[in-house]
Amino acid sequence: MSENWVLKEDEAIELLALLITSARIQMEEPAHYGPLRLLTATERLSSAIIERASEKSRDFLQANIERIPDMHMQMSDTDAYAAGLDELCRRVAETLLRHSPLPEDDS
Amino acid sequence: MSEPILENIRTRRVVREMTDEPVAREQIETILEAARWAPSGGNLRPNRYIVIQNPETRRLIRLVSPGMFQKAPALILICTNGDVLAEHSLPPTDRALLIDIGTAAQTIMLAAHALGLASGPVTSYSKEAVKVILNLPESYSPEMFICIGHKANTTKRGMTAWKKTSWRDLTHWERFPDA
Repeated sequence: MSENWVLKEDEAIELLALLITSARIQMEEPAHYGPLRLLTATERLSSAIIERASEKSRDFLQANIERIPDMHMQMSDTDAYAAGLDELCRRVAETLLRHSPLPEDDS
Repeated sequence: MSEPILENIRTRRVVREMTDEPVAREQIETILEAARWAPSGGNLRPNRYIVIQNPETRRLIRLVSPGMFQKAPALILICTNGDVLAEHSLPPTDRALLIDIGTAAQTIMLAAHALGLASGPVTSYSKEAVKVILNLPESYSPEMFICIGHKANTTKRGMTAWKKTSWRDLTHWERFPDA
C-alpha cells in the first residue's frame, strides 16, 4: 500500500464531524438515508484527498466526486441506486487491487 | 387567494445548489416580517429566528449538518423558545409546535421565492452540535434551517419523485365507506 499522507488534520476533523453527526441523526431518519450519509462522506473524503493521492487512486476518486451527487437524486429508483452502489463497489475493489496486487495463482 | 400567490406556490422549489452571491439584509428582513405573519397555534408565537451570514459560522454549521448540501450565503434557523412553552404550561412535545415550525418554514420559503431568491429546508443536523456552535440559550431548541440564496446555474437534475402525485391522489372526499 502507498504510505502517502493525503489528509490534513482539519480535513480529517471535518470528516469526523460528518460521520458522528450522521450517526446521531440516522437514529431518527429513514433507513435509506444511511447509504446517503455514507456516500456523502465518501464524496467529501474523495474531494479532500484527490490532490495528494497517487495516480493509482485518482480515477476512482474523481468518479466518486462526479457520480455520487447524481446517485443521491436517484434514491427513489431502488434498482438504479443499487446498481450504482454495485458499480462503486467494483471500482473500489479494482482500486484495492492496484494498491495491493495479489500474487498470481501458481498452483 | 389571488393568482400571483397561487403561481408563487406552484413555482417554488427546494434548491440545493446556490451561488456565493450574498443576500441583502433588507431582503432577509422582508422574509422575517413575512414569517411573523405565519399562523401560530393559540397565537403563542414560540418561534424564534436566528440569521447566520458569517462565512465561518456557516461553514461550521454545515460540517455538523449532513443534510445541508447547499453552501447558502444566508441561513435562517427556526427555534422553539422553551420559555414561551413554560409560560403556557405546554410540553415540548405539543404538536402545535411542529405546526408552527411548518407554517413559518413555508412562509419563509414562499417569501424568499417572491423576492426572486432560492431556498431549501434542512432538518438533518445535530441539534446538540448546533447549540454549541451558535451558543444558543438553554431554552432555545433548533428545529429547522432554511437556506436562502441565489440558485446556481446547474445541469444537475433534482431529486427524482418517489411517485408522481396529483392532489387527487392525496385527497378523499367525505366519510369513508364501511368495509
